Order: sequence, then structure tokens, then C-alpha cells
Amino acid sequence: MRLYMSIIDMSKDKADLPYGTLDLLVLQTLQTMGPLHGYAIARRIEQVSGSLRLSQGSLYPALIRLEQQGWIGTKRGISETNRQVKVYSLTRSGEKQLQVEVERWEQASALVARVLGARP
Amino acid sequence: MSLRRQLARAIALFRGRQLDRELDEEIAAHLELAEHEARARGLDPVAARQQALRAFGGVDQMKEQHRDVRSVRWAENIARDVRYGIAGLRRDPLFAVVAIGVLALGIGANVAVFSLVDAVLFRPLPFPQPDRLVRWWEAPTPTSTNSTTVLNFTSIAGLSQSFDALSAEARTSATAVIEGEPVRLQGRLVSADHFRVFGVVPVLGRGFIAEEDRAGGPAVVVISHAAWQTRFGGDPAILARTLLLDNVPHQIVGVLPAGAFDRDKARPQDDAASFWKPQAFTEAQLAAGSHWLNPVGRLKPGISIEAARADLLAARQRIDDIIPAWKRSWSVVLEPYDEQLVESRFRQALYVALAGVVVVLAIACANLTNLLLARGVAREKELAVRAALGAGRHRMVAQLLTEASLLGILGAVAGIVLAEVLIRVAVPLLPAAMPYTAELRIDARALGWAAALGVFVSTAVGILPALRLSRGSLATSLNQASRGSSSSNDRIRRVIVGATVAASLVLVCTSFLLFKSLVRLQQVDIGVRAPRVLAASVDISREAYPTAEAASAFYRRFVERVRAMPGVESASLSADLPLEGTGGEYLRVPGNAADRLTVRFKRAGDAYFETLGIPVIAGRTFTEADRADGELVAIVNEALAADLRRIFGVNDPVGQVVDLPVIGYSTPTVRRPMRIVGIVANERVSPDLRAEADSIAYVPLLQAPITWLKLAARVAGEPLAVAPAVRQVLREIDSHVALADVQTIDDIKSRSLSGLREPAWLIGMFAALATALAALGLYGVVAHAVSARRREIGVRMALGADGGDVIRLVLHNVAITVAVGTLAGLAGSVAATRITQSLLFEVSSVDPAAFAVAAIGLLTVGLIAAAVPARRAVRVDPTIALRSDG
Repeated sequence: MRLYMSIIDMSKDKADLPYGTLDLLVLQTLQTMGPLHGYAIARRIEQVSGSLRLSQGSLYPALIRLEQQGWIGTKRGISETNRQVKVYSLTRSGEKQLQVEVERWEQASALVARVLGARP
Repeated sequence: MSLRRQLARAIALFRGRQLDRELDEEIAAHLELAEHEARARGLDPVAARQQALRAFGGVDQMKEQHRDVRSVRWAENIARDVRYGIAGLRRDPLFAVVAIGVLALGIGANVAVFSLVDAVLFRPLPFPQPDRLVRWWEAPTPTSTNSTTVLNFTSIAGLSQSFDALSAEARTSATAVIEGEPVRLQGRLVSADHFRVFGVVPVLGRGFIAEEDRAGGPAVVVISHAAWQTRFGGDPAILARTLLLDNVPHQIVGVLPAGAFDRDKARPQDDAASFWKPQAFTEAQLAAGSHWLNPVGRLKPGISIEAARADLLAARQRIDDIIPAWKRSWSVVLEPYDEQLVESRFRQALYVALAGVVVVLAIACANLTNLLLARGVAREKELAVRAALGAGRHRMVAQLLTEASLLGILGAVAGIVLAEVLIRVAVPLLPAAMPYTAELRIDARALGWAAALGVFVSTAVGILPALRLSRGSLATSLNQASRGSSSSNDRIRRVIVGATVAASLVLVCTSFLLFKSLVRLQQVDIGVRAPRVLAASVDISREAYPTAEAASAFYRRFVERVRAMPGVESASLSADLPLEGTGGEYLRVPGNAADRLTVRFKRAGDAYFETLGIPVIAGRTFTEADRADGELVAIVNEALAADLRRIFGVNDPVGQVVDLPVIGYSTPTVRRPMRIVGIVANERVSPDLRAEADSIAYVPLLQAPITWLKLAARVAGEPLAVAPAVRQVLREIDSHVALADVQTIDDIKSRSLSGLREPAWLIGMFAALATALAALGLYGVVAHAVSARRREIGVRMALGADGGDVIRLVLHNVAITVAVGTLAGLAGSVAATRITQSLLFEVSSVDPAAFAVAAIGLLTVGLIAAAVPARRAVRVDPTIALRSDG
């Protein structure tokens, strides 16, 4: 059950975030950028995804879930505005999970590409 | 979902507030950063704030989503509803106290009565395979049972194939001198297999062996755990000790485990048995043919009770030639052991109490529903507002049910405490009819019952307000709430109050009938006119008094000393006291071989009738001249005199000679002609006051001496006050004889009401409780109607209505409610008497007077309950009422 999908901004002029990709994006972001606080993760995903847009708030339910799975960890840190914030970082099992998710994604997109390629 | 995540979600349940706070901080930091960035891009503060919020999306929705993801949501909801419910109860402590109090009364009474019923009727006997245990009786007629004889028991037991173990049990008692003080101990004479019948293994030592159950065998006893503890201080070396019973040393061979056998009373007035002793039947006992044994047996596996009975009957018919001809038609019956332990009267009393307590609980639920509905009206506005703010209907229904459950749980907990108190108070007051196998306590079953009631109550009281909420529409709710009234709500509440009135009336009528019956029973003439009589038992041992002459000498010395005591007006010895039962024999009239009359046979000393104040109708009473060497004489009571007239045509019984047994003290029993010298008023010998007066033949104690004696002493002052002096006198005559069962005749009489008094008081209490609840309900409905119609009342009064009109207006509906409830209650009462019928004595189950008094009483209480708030309506000041928004 991926409840967080339901709060993705469904405006007609924006592309929906493909199902199951938010986890992948968060994990990938943390691997690329190192430890980040929530706002920075949201901004980074917005920047790399270009036309894809999601409500920044929808990130937080995904973060708590990934944290409960043990894929990301939290530490206390200080933001640019000098406020105490939660800083998220990828854990060991998170790195493994990222590999699994990437492989799964690649397999899925390869499958889709093959199906589309076979189109007359 | 991974295990790790499930665990995390479970933990999150308890960290809800902290996680919420962390999330709030994170959101604040996020928005601050977003705002900061926007302002860095040159936006003004307001626009920057707006943009940050827009990019973030719905904050509250996200929070809900966050909670859904991180935690077990339904559990969190329940926790919140419970917190909310507790807060609600604390805001309205009066409601909380009333609601929980009403429930605690209903559930507490229920749990207490359930524990009693469970202990007595439902819980299996505390023995292995209790369904295999049976009691065996002789049956002179299809409806009567009798003990059996030594001859019958030994021959039938030898021929029968159906039992794993059989034992012939008989009541006995003996005097032991413990620490210099003579004490009368109750005991049982049993067969060697007795403890194998019950599957009970002694905790110390052993049970009996066959050699010990033979005439001339060693003198041995097994003692109860309680006797071991109280009489011997739990001495671990008890098996090395001997117990001096009636001056004969008995080797203690075993100690029974604690439990049922510590409570084994042969008769309600006795103490529990302390020792068990082998029967060791003698030749004389075998020849005597008296019926004194109560066999108990353990059926072999696979043998049904019917098969065993057929087997016993066949065995019994094979010995036809050795039993007296007139007893050959007697049958044998087997009864499951647990069934014969509980008197049918007590069993019925328990069912009636259970029914009564269920009605009380139903009334408590109805009242609580009423309270919740009344509260619901006040809260409709609040609920409507919450609905308008987006609370889902099912969430609100869940919340109402949670609140009801909270009441149910708190009520059940308070009820369990109350039940524990009730049981502690009740145990000493409980009728002696409690079987010895029953142990009254609040156990897991009672707690389960309390929990079931709690759930039932929560559902029952929560469902109606919740249903109304889910049916009602928001708009009407808001609308009605503003007027503070709802007519459909009123209708439901009136139906509930009407039903409460009906149920209360059923209880009131039933209790009236039971009380009336109790009064009738107390008015039964037991024949004893003397008001202050001390009663006690004095048993002498055959070893110390081996001959009739020795026993008679003891009687005379003892009675003379007691008569000489200051304050004693008259004293007498006899074999049995009134209402404590007595043996049966048959009577014949010489010259009439055909007719035989079974009579109660009572041995009475001289001055017996004078001491107890039993009036002499004709002839004389026994005197000191009626000794063993005098003419054999008898006295009959009025009932027997009437029998003699009717059956034998004896018009003047005084002077008539009848044939009765002379039971020898140390010689065989023979039948002899005896001259009737007097007629006395009917004395009640049977403990069942509802039975007809028995026909009794009295013979002088000195012409039929015995070892078990009862002292009756009529005194000028308080009867029990002379007991120490009597004990001192007895000690001076024989320091080995105990004065036991010291009581008054009133005690005996009051005990005969046991099993009839308790249900009357119980149902009476339930009825009072139910009436109070019904009155409370009526008060609530009228008070609510008055406050809801203040404005209307004001208008009417302003237009010229007087106080009478206003009261009629307010009470109109209530009067109908009460009238309908009363009619339904009367109908229910007639139906309920099917259950109570068997407990009634000389009272018709549709006694018009009792029903009329009950109905009028309840109507009066109802009217008073309604009148108090109605009076308030009359005092409504139109000018204030019209100006108020109510």
C-alpha cells in the first residue's frame, strides 16, 4: 500500500510521479548529495526532476517510512537559518535497497522499452 | 511490510505526541528555509511566505498522512477517543458518578450472584471425573427416598457389578478431649473404599484398608485438613498420634487434603466433619434392619447411571427372601452426586436471584441509555459542529461507542470490586444449603462474566445514541440542538422509562409475593409456645455408659442439676428438638393386622412438653414414673389422633393401646403394645415449614434410652446466658461429655426459613434498586420535558393558563408512559410467577392484594419523581421564560 501516492499534486499540466519512484529518488539523492535536511532533499528532487513536480510536504511521510525501514538514519543538524533540523543520511541497508530499487527500475524500464520497441 | 517497520509502527503508537512535535518542528524549519530562499530571490516577506506554503502543499493533510504511515492508525484513534472520553467524564463528574454507579450496581450484583450460581450449580465437583459419582437410595415409593440397611448395602454391593468403588456413609459424632476440654467432633462412618470413591488421596498417611473395615478391626481414623490445622496445630508428626474419641484411642492414619472435605456438613446445623472412621459392621447391625446408611459410589467407566440402577435393582430382587416382606416392593434409585448436594428449593432460589439480577442490569442499561441520550441532546450541537468541520460519521459513531465502552469498562471494574465486597459480606449469611463442594470466590469465570457484561453494556447503551447520530441529518441536528430538544429522542426515552417501570414492577410484585409468603411461614405454628429456650446437644458414649441404667442415671443427674440452676424454669432431655427432623417408625393397632401407619417417632423426657410449651389437649404428659420398669406408654399429637380416628376408628385415643417398637439401648428392638396416655398439640418436626404437620408418636426417653441427647431449658432471661453454667454442671458430672450445638429455639426456627428468606430479601433489594432507577428515569424525562418546554409554558401562562393546566401539559405524556409500563409490568409479573411459584407458601401466585399494593406503590413513587420537576414548571416566570433563548 503506497498511500503517499495519493497526495501527489495531480494538476493536469504536470506529469505525475511514476508509481514507486519517490523512494528511489530520495535514496538516490542522499547517495549523491550525502546527508541532507528535508527541505534540501525536496529542492534537489525538484531540480533534477524538471517538469515533475510534487508537493514538498509529501516528502515527509515517505521519509518517516524509509526511516522506519532502517534505510535512512537521522541526526541533529543546524540549518542555513540557524535552526535545529533533522538531517537524513543513507544507511548501509539503504545503500543495498537503492541497488535493488535501481535494478528493479532498470528491468521495468527495459521491459517497457522492449514492448514499445516491438510496436509496428 | 517488514517486521522492523511493524515494530517501529507499534512503538510510534506510544510516541505519537513526540513524533507530532518533531514533525511540527521539521515543517517549521522547512517553511522557514523555503521562505528564506524566496526572499533571497527578491520576494517581499508576505509573498515569500505564500510561495513557501504553496510549494509545501496542505499541511494538515500531510500531517494526517504522516500519522497514517508511521503508526497503527485505528489504535491511535481509539487511544484518542479514550482520552477524549475520559476528559468528557471529568468535565461532567456528576454524570460520570451516576453512570458508573448505576453500572457498578448492575454488574456488581450480577457478578456476585453469578459467582454463587456458578459455585453451586455450574462448576464441576472438585473430584476427578465427578460425573461418575452417584448417591444410591432406597425408594419406598416412586417419590420418596430413604437410607438403606446394613443387610441391603452389604448384599447388594456384593452382587452389583457397576461400581469401581462403593462406600456406605453415615453421620456420626464423638467427643474428644482436646487440651482438657471436651469437644464434640462431627465425623463420618464410611467403608474402606470411601476415599477411592471420591478419588481423594490423603496428603499425609493413607486411606483405609479392608482389614480396618471389619468388626473387631483396629480403631483408626482419617482426619480433615482443617481439623489437623485447628485441633492439632498442623503437627507434622500427626500420624504418630492417637485421637481419643469417646474415650477410645484411635490411631490417626491419614490427613485429607484441604478443600471440599473441610466444609462437609451432614446437616445445616452441624459443624463440618473432622474425622472419618471405618464402618466395621457388626452382626447386630446386620440383623437390626434400620435404615441409616447413605451409599455413595463411583461408576465403572462406560456404565451409565440407568444401567447401574438396573443392575442394583436386579441385585436387590435377588435378596427378596432375606428382607421383610413389606419392604420388598421398595425400589432403588441412583442420583448424580452433584444433583443431590443442592436442595431443589435452594436451586430454585438461585435461579430466581439470577433472573432478578439480570432484570436489574437491564434496568441499569436502560437508565444509562437514557442518560446518554439526554447527554446526547446537549452534545448534538458539539457533534454537529465536529461533523461540519470534517469529522467522518463513522469516526463520530466510533467515538460515541468508545465513550460507552469506557463507561462499560469502568462500570465493570467498579462492579467487580462491589461483587467482591458483596461476596465477603454474604458468605457468612449464606444459607447453610450451600453444598460443601462449592467454594464461593471471584475467579476467572466470574471475571469473564464481568467482562462479557461490560461488553454487553457498552454495546447496549452505546448503540442507540450512535444509531441516532448516524441516522440523523446534520442540518436538523444543528437546528434542533439550538432549540435544545428533539421529539424523537423524547419518544425513545419515554419507551425506555416505560420499560423500566414495567421491569421494576415485575421485581416489586415478585418480592411482595415472596415476603408475604415469608410472613406466612413465620406465622406457621410450630407448636412451641415457650419464648426463651436454650437448646444444646449432649452425647454420651456407649463405652462410658454401657447400660440403659447407667444412661438413665446420667439423664436424671444432669436434668436435676440444670433444673436447679437459677433462672431455669424447666428443663428436659429428648432425642430430637423441634424442626430438626426425627426418625420414622410404623404403628399398628392390635386387632387390625391390615393397616400400618408410618409415624414420626420421638423420644421425650418428662417435662418435654412443659419446657417447650407444647399444649396438652387431653390426658397427661410423661412423668418420672414412666420408667423402664413401668407400664409402656405413648403420647400422640393431634395429627396422629386424627389418623387413628380416620384409619383405625379409634374415637378416643387416650387409653387406646397401640403397637410400637421398643428400641433397646443394648438389647434388640422388639415391638410392644403401648397405652396412649395423652394427646398434645402438633409439634413441627420437619424442617420444611411448608409441609403438612407430621403425625408423631412420643415415647418416654427412659423407656427408650439413647446416647445422643438434646437438652431444652426454658429460662427466665436470655437463653444463651445460662450456657456456661450448664457447661460447668456437665463438666462436674462427667468431664468427658461436651455441650455442643448451643443455640436457641428461635435460631432453629429461623434456620428453617433458610432458602426462603434469602431470595425474598435479595429480590426485595433488587426491587428497591429497580424502583429507584425507574424513579430516576422518570425524574429525568419530566425534568427534561419541563426545561425543553419552558418557552411554551411561558407563553401558555402569559395567555392565562393556570398551574393545573401546566402540570397537565407536562405530565400528560408521562402519565401515559407510567400507565402503559404498569400494565406491562403486571402482565410480566403474572408470567414471572411461573419461576417463583415453587418458592411461595400459602400465597397465590396472582395474589391481587400484593399486585395492587405493588402497582399503587410504584405509581406513587413514579408520580413523586415526576411531580418534583413538574412543580418547577408551575413556577416558570413567563417574562423570564419568553426572554430566554431556551
